[in-house]
Amino acid sequence: MAETVLPPPLTLAVGDRVVYPNQGVCRVTSVESKEVAGQTLTFVTMKREEDGAVVMVPEAKVRSIGLRKVAGRADVDRVFSFLRSDSDKANLDWKQRARTNVERMSQGGLMGLAEVVKGLQVLSELRPLPTKERELYDNARHLLVAELSASLSIAEVDAEDSVDVVLFPPGRERPKRTAEEFRTATGDEDGMELGEDLLGLGGEIELGGESEPEEPEAEVAAEPPPKAKAAGKAKGEKKPAAKKPAGEKKATEKKAAARKPAAKPEKKAAPKKPAPKAAAKKPAAKPAKKK
Amino acid sequence: MIRLVTLDAYDPKVIDRLCKVLYTAFGVGCEHAGDMPLPGGQSEPFDAQALLQALPSPRAYADDKILYLTSRKLKPRSLVSGDVPSSGFSNQNGPRALVSSAGVKDPEAGLKLIARHAMHQLGHTWELHHCLDPRCAMYPPWTLNYDAGDTFFDTFCRDKSEQKIRLAKS
Repeated sequence: MAETVLPPPLTLAVGDRVVYPNQGVCRVTSVESKEVAGQTLTFVTMKREEDGAVVMVPEAKVRSIGLRKVAGRADVDRVFSFLRSDSDKANLDWKQRARTNVERMSQGGLMGLAEVVKGLQVLSELRPLPTKERELYDNARHLLVAELSASLSIAEVDAEDSVDVVLFPPGRERPKRTAEEFRTATGDEDGMELGEDLLGLGGEIELGGESEPEEPEAEVAAEPPPKAKAAGKAKGEKKPAAKKPAGEKKATEKKAAARKPAAKPEKKAAPKKPAPKAAAKKPAAKPAKKK
Repeated sequence: MIRLVTLDAYDPKVIDRLCKVLYTAFGVGCEHAGDMPLPGGQSEPFDAQALLQALPSPRAYADDKILYLTSRKLKPRSLVSGDVPSSGFSNQNGPRALVSSAGVKDPEAGLKLIARHAMHQLGHTWELHHCLDPRCAMYPPWTLNYDAGDTFFDTFCRDKSEQKIRLAKS
């Protein structure tokens, strides 16, 4: 994990409006000392403006969680100029993209939210967003609009329309992008394939099962899919069979799914070997029975 | 429940069909709650936000959404980042929405467009944000091909609105 630079210390007073990362705009309702497990700690109590949810944070943790004051006018101007700019950087590597977006959401401030919104909007011009990213886009947009609304003291609907007038200018057609445009920006195509390292994702990144397969599906149109899929299946067949015992459910399911496609290449390569199938099954079954 | 209030005269058939479309889109009942005169002190083109504030509410439950329908023109809205043409107005998570059918000459023929704008404004009242899918009614309404679209919510917006409606039911 990359080290993150902590923001400057924040002094909070009752009535201050702050932004709690990933939660939204809150108002400080009290700053009081409490004794917890024999220690006297100062807690900052905040109320989320959206729904009135109450959050208590130890004062010592305020910096590390990324709590910050509502963005000022200068920040807002920078956000609008960024949204207006032609920075179409959208990373095609979904893992990198997910990591960056999670970081931007929690540590990036108002500009981070704008980057997530713009990045995903640009990406959506290439292909529909997977479910998880669509949710992320909606969350980022919600937080961005709420903070802009608080910062400019305008209604949320006006803040949202202000953002969208820039992102979707009136009278202009939605551009259609190609994967080539993004490839030059990112320089690789790692994100186009789903390898085994998918399983090694960090626990902090929420990437549901739904979002993962959707990406390659969308890119299948541009990429040669059958080879990649066949290669993936071939890898999937051999490894579980070699490493894992036959007792596990997942392995049996994979084997069952793999048997049919596996039989064909074997037949083609060595047409005289139908017998090893039965032979291979029997030794696997016998130890299981003995146990 | 969606309560439709007309601020101008409309063919009852159009209102019936609009109610049906809204019922299909949101999965909640929609009924015509009567006519209402336009408030005084404002002239055409109306400021949508000011008009919505000045309009009285019909009798409704707390979870009900009220949709006002007018055939009058609305002023373009001035925003921080520029002006935007207005076909209606509603506040995020607010109880009321306003839609204008000024751009539609024949409401019966152009019902789809009126319904699409109505869905958009009502969507905001159920906390839907603008959508990325140009086919969806929640796509920004000032965009070029919005009016050619259908009365349709994409999966994400439909699911979210259903969730909000379910949670709001008292």
